[in-house]
Amino acid sequence: MTNLATVPVSRLGSPASAPAIEPRRRWLKPAPDSMPRQRRRPRIVYAAVAIGGIAIIALAQLLLTIGLSDGAYQVSAQQSKLKDLLRTNQALSEQLTALSSPQNLVQNAQTLGMVANGNTVYLRLSDGAVLGSPTPASAANAPIAADQALVPNSLLQPDPVVAAPVPDVSSAPPTAAPDPSVPWQGALPSPQTH
Amino acid sequence: MTIAVLIIVAVVSVFCVRLVDIQIVQADSLNATSLASRSDSTVTLGTRGDIVDANGVVLATSILRYAIEADPSAVAEFDRPAADGSGDVKVSADQAIGELASVMGLDPAVITAIVTADPTSRYAQISKSVDVSTYNAIRALDIPWLYYKADQSRTYPDGSVAGNLVGFVGADGTALAGTELTQNACLAGSDGSEVTETGEDGVAIPGSTVTLKKAVDGGKVQLTINSDLQYFAQEALAQRVTEVGAESGTVVVTEAKTGKILTAAEYPTVDPNNIDATDPAYRGAKVFSDPFEPGSTFKSITAASLIDAGAATPASQVLAPYEYKSGDAVIHDSFYHPDMRWTLTGVIEQSSNTGISMLSNNMSVDQRWDYMNKFHLGKPTEVGFVGEDSGDILPGGVSGPTQLDDQTIYNTTFGQGLTVTAVQMASAYQAIANNGVRMPVQLFEGCRHDDGTVTDAPAPSTGEQVISPQAAQDTVHMMESVATTGYAADALKIPGYRVSAKTGTAEMSNGSGAYGGAYLTSMAGMAPSDDPQYVVSVTIRKPVTITSGLAAAPVFQKVLSQVLKTYRVQPSTVPAPNLPTTY
Repeated sequence: MTNLATVPVSRLGSPASAPAIEPRRRWLKPAPDSMPRQRRRPRIVYAAVAIGGIAIIALAQLLLTIGLSDGAYQVSAQQSKLKDLLRTNQALSEQLTALSSPQNLVQNAQTLGMVANGNTVYLRLSDGAVLGSPTPASAANAPIAADQALVPNSLLQPDPVVAAPVPDVSSAPPTAAPDPSVPWQGALPSPQTH
Repeated sequence: MTIAVLIIVAVVSVFCVRLVDIQIVQADSLNATSLASRSDSTVTLGTRGDIVDANGVVLATSILRYAIEADPSAVAEFDRPAADGSGDVKVSADQAIGELASVMGLDPAVITAIVTADPTSRYAQISKSVDVSTYNAIRALDIPWLYYKADQSRTYPDGSVAGNLVGFVGADGTALAGTELTQNACLAGSDGSEVTETGEDGVAIPGSTVTLKKAVDGGKVQLTINSDLQYFAQEALAQRVTEVGAESGTVVVTEAKTGKILTAAEYPTVDPNNIDATDPAYRGAKVFSDPFEPGSTFKSITAASLIDAGAATPASQVLAPYEYKSGDAVIHDSFYHPDMRWTLTGVIEQSSNTGISMLSNNMSVDQRWDYMNKFHLGKPTEVGFVGEDSGDILPGGVSGPTQLDDQTIYNTTFGQGLTVTAVQMASAYQAIANNGVRMPVQLFEGCRHDDGTVTDAPAPSTGEQVISPQAAQDTVHMMESVATTGYAADALKIPGYRVSAKTGTAEMSNGSGAYGGAYLTSMAGMAPSDDPQYVVSVTIRKPVTITSGLAAAPVFQKVLSQVLKTYRVQPSTVPAPNLPTTY
């Protein structure tokens, strides 16, 4: 009986009344019933922060995506613009290099009435000596005849780019032919180059 | 109740199985299909490198050309946004074809024929290659059934200037000739590839680009050529060749101190932009690939060898007859004369075959061939140009010069019975001009890569002493008599400069072992004679109206003047030695 009487007492949590079964109580200890009472009701602010945070993240993600895809369109547009510009650059470079070819320069210079002087004359700076006999350039003694273009360049148009100058004979009064000899004045310059 | 539960369980199981199937079992293939449908693989072009001259002038460059393709099955009326922005305007197929034809400069019937040949086809090519401005104009037409494909092409801005050296590529971009082929390993780029994920409208998804292989641009090849000088030489040569009714000609200019080729002109020359316009025989570089019997310009080399070996001096005396017989050999001069008391200088000045033959007796045959080998004749130059010929200083099947017959042994003293290329001849003269030091022939400065490094540049060389400086200077002075008192002296004068030159009129073989009455006239020399800086060598083949060295002399004089002018060479200050030509 004594046994039967003490067990329920110990279950009711009266520590002083059951010293005899001390070892068993260690692992049959009931959960402290004060815990449920200590749990507070969750505050609404936490929920709001959490949900708001998620909303902000979602919004940021959305804005980022919008920004990114907007950027993608900008990049795409700029890239196609770049392509167009590179194409234009290439077309112009092509024209430029063809126009700077020696054939084109010679043809246009000749159209403008320029003649290369085949009679090369040198001025020796050390003593002012003229080597060779200076004569005006004429089509007859040009080192390369003007009327023959035997180094073809199929990139060029057959017609020169420049128009031949039309001499204005009506207004200009006839002038005396200038003296081709140039008198030497002053000291002879020495060359500055190395 | 239990039936309802069973049905629900069954349906849920079916869904589960399907879910596992899609998410796990088929996941890889579905992902791949999805990626494929939004990813776009593109080839990035590795540009072929430029070929430039010594001053950086572009001689060959890569450009984009566009293939215009059509989808014939889609050719129909379409809407085009109106220019003023007020809605769309209808454009009929015929109208579109008409517009396209006028932009491309074609007959509308041609395009109509292409797109109606097979109306069910999805592909027809309208043009293989149009330039950028045409391409832009075509795109502006906004025709929905047209497709474009960019492709690399080559352009040669200077046309046939140095066309023989630059070479060309085929329609498919394969290098076919010249530097394009010789330096293909440097010039060729390699295409790369990249994959980009794109949206429905083709716009790339940011961050999705994956480069599978990086495109590598080709290197830039720099030549030693001066393109302006090359143009001048080509034009001057071409005019003279047509003037004297000749078949072809070459001009080679080298820098005496370095062995660099400044000009290697020939006529006719291919225009790499329009290869078909040139006879296939003239599409290469004959200066390298076409050996010839040089004739009397070779006498300078024989004389230089004789002097170096101590077998003669410029004053060595010879009583030169019109006809000289030795063994089986019979040698004639090109003009009749009584027995003449010429020095070696006189022999060079008068270009006497008998005189040089008799003087060559002072030297053994083997020794003379040793000198030819030292002058690097009979083997290709260091340039290694595609199709380069070595020339022949011994006929095929002959192991040594002593096996040659008497006639050939004597003929070789004045440049018959052996062959050299124009570049070899210029190189031998370069050695004489450079105090006897032969520099390796150089045409390529190297391969310049995008990162600024230069590879394949020729190793610096101090050259090879072929003959002694004294022998070289003596030879230059002897050759000066050709330009002061020889028969072509008037055509060779350049005021202010001392010029050394040697004329040549070689009989050309008719291809069957005999001489056929055709001539190769030539002129080779250097200036200024007191310190030679530049070597010019001119040959003109089969001239009709003038068959002596006079055919080549004006070209020599013009090109040499231009060279001296271009490089600002100081006029000579020391008078010519005027070595005695007779005794």
